Amino acid sequence: MSDQKISVAASPSVPTAPAARRVDPLALVVRFQSLIGLVLVAIGGIIFSPRRHGEILFLNPDNIANIVRAVSETGIIAIGMTFVIITAGIDLSVGAVLGLSSVVTATMMISGGFGLIPTILAVLAMGIAFGIVQGTISTRFRLEPFIVTLAGLQAARGLALIVSGNQYINISYGDGPGLAPPVFAVLGERLFDNTVPVATIVFIVFAAIATVVLNTTRFGRYVFAVGGNERAARISGVPVSMVKIAVYAITGFASALAGIVHAGQFNFGSANDGMGYELTAIAAVVIGGTSLFGGAGSMVGTVAGTIMLGALANILQLNNITPATQLLATAAIIVLAAVLQSLVRRREGLGR
Amino acid sequence: MRTTLRGSRVLRAALLAGAGLCIAGSAQAAEPLVKACAKDGQFVIGFSQANNAEPYRQHVNDELTAAAKDVPGFTLQIADGAGNVNTQTSQVDNFITQKVDILLISPFEAAPLTPAVKRAMDAGIPVIELDRKTVGDPGKDYTAFIGGDNYKIALEAGKYTAKTLLPDGGETAVLEGLPSSTPAVERLNGFKDGVKENAKIRVVAEQAADWVPDKAQTAFAAMLQAHPDIKVLYASNDMMAAGALLAAKGAGKDVKIIGTDGLPGPAGGIEAVAKGDWAATFTYPTGAKEAIEMSKKILLDCATSVEPTVTVETTAITAENAKQLMGK
Repeated sequence: MSDQKISVAASPSVPTAPAARRVDPLALVVRFQSLIGLVLVAIGGIIFSPRRHGEILFLNPDNIANIVRAVSETGIIAIGMTFVIITAGIDLSVGAVLGLSSVVTATMMISGGFGLIPTILAVLAMGIAFGIVQGTISTRFRLEPFIVTLAGLQAARGLALIVSGNQYINISYGDGPGLAPPVFAVLGERLFDNTVPVATIVFIVFAAIATVVLNTTRFGRYVFAVGGNERAARISGVPVSMVKIAVYAITGFASALAGIVHAGQFNFGSANDGMGYELTAIAAVVIGGTSLFGGAGSMVGTVAGTIMLGALANILQLNNITPATQLLATAAIIVLAAVLQSLVRRREGLGR
Repeated sequence: MRTTLRGSRVLRAALLAGAGLCIAGSAQAAEPLVKACAKDGQFVIGFSQANNAEPYRQHVNDELTAAAKDVPGFTLQIADGAGNVNTQTSQVDNFITQKVDILLISPFEAAPLTPAVKRAMDAGIPVIELDRKTVGDPGKDYTAFIGGDNYKIALEAGKYTAKTLLPDGGETAVLEGLPSSTPAVERLNGFKDGVKENAKIRVVAEQAADWVPDKAQTAFAAMLQAHPDIKVLYASNDMMAAGALLAAKGAGKDVKIIGTDGLPGPAGGIEAVAKGDWAATFTYPTGAKEAIEMSKKILLDCATSVEPTVTVETTAITAENAKQLMGK
């Protein structure tokens, strides 16, 4: 990973925020929990990796590439989700918006005959618009984001089925009507001497931009402030509604981006794609140390959490261990991450 | 991330050179598909399954496991793609990393899994596709395809309806699988084309029930409300036929139900037909035995080529033969 610096919530100047305090060792563990987890999984991976002629398969460059490629789509979504969860919100529509975006991408390029750039821009705009609508409904009518985005999930799947006419859409490449520009297929390839998956590059670049936005901009501080104490934030002049709408626009954008990556990786768009991704993304965010209560979280943690889940799945499969074990292990990790956070919150006197 | 490629090719060359068990024939003889093949060798077969959650696919896993057990040198590894093309792609990549000797795959969808299959072929691993194909031609883009033909199976069911169940015509309905999935589309189209043989038959309702019984029950109950005269229901899999039966019973209607898959066991379609609950079910053979046979040819008998397409035929399971087939 590029930078190892994790910023904590820049405490907004609100009365209830605890003043500067001694560094609690447990809090440190929580702050770095997903990185620690990633290191532990990696060590476990090395120990339990099958070996061939002395080579540790887990560390084989191809295998590392498999791991980071496989988590790219959910990773991109988890990055958007981190913003939303820091504001104490949730977005359940992300997987469905990925499916919708993959279908629209495929349709526009195949039957629409739109070029590559207009297609990508249109799909990203659609994702942002989808998020803005959800955010607006949620803030305007004071509805739980859980409910609004649950409706959004259904709406996106429905729209995807309408757009695709209940069919899956294959993308064929070439020059001419009904064919997509071959350059789009690069999303499924690897660069730098066939080592680094392009999907992963998209994921990491997006993660880097998001980290900067969250940790160094005024908007980032607003996001923490809204999640930390909404009323206090409102009193101190934070445009709460705007911030909330913006974070759903970000998840919409992220889902659309993941949908484009999906269509390019798999030459395919289907209304059923991305099912359950919202839960994988939420798991990665929580393991990454972001609290569902809002107000605290870390982007680097989310990235580490995402890769950790991928590495875990990989090492279990290399050893031919059933998916059941993977699900149980993931469950244990989520609970452990949440318990650690809860302990720290209690020590800080924040209650539950 | 490290970006250096280690000498895996050198390694593979050494491996192949070390496997000097191959035919010592003339230099002109065609190469065997797998150079490390040997009568008494130990081999790993990786099976990339689309989705273990579907009972039919669990049935495939069971048959494959049983067939592989009979071959002393074979170890079968099954990875569950969980109905997700991304997961399945990474599992195929993992099998390539492990250098399994043969890759069996039932791709969840065709186009998305095509690049992964190509990577396996490029790595020198023969790929046998089971039940579903990726894009390209068997024998060229992948080693072989073994499976049934969804469209043809549903076409048979349609013809059976046209000729045997409703010779005098009447109303029929279809329960479709997951909309926009390949088998759902093929089975729907097949049945509709099959009943066209009888001009007096009308398909009055089609609803998607995503392969699952509870949705099928709800959907068929609604269909019967709207069209009380439905005489035959075609369910695109056995699970949905089971759900539809509950709806028909609830409505007090005697509807002739046709399933698809012909699963064995107490909850399967064969038993339902034997009990007289359904009119028929059309088997969707797994091809598991054929796949293991083909693996034996490649790995143990050092085959230089195999049949690129093996179509396993459907069997119509009706009141006449269901009882005999129960024990099988």
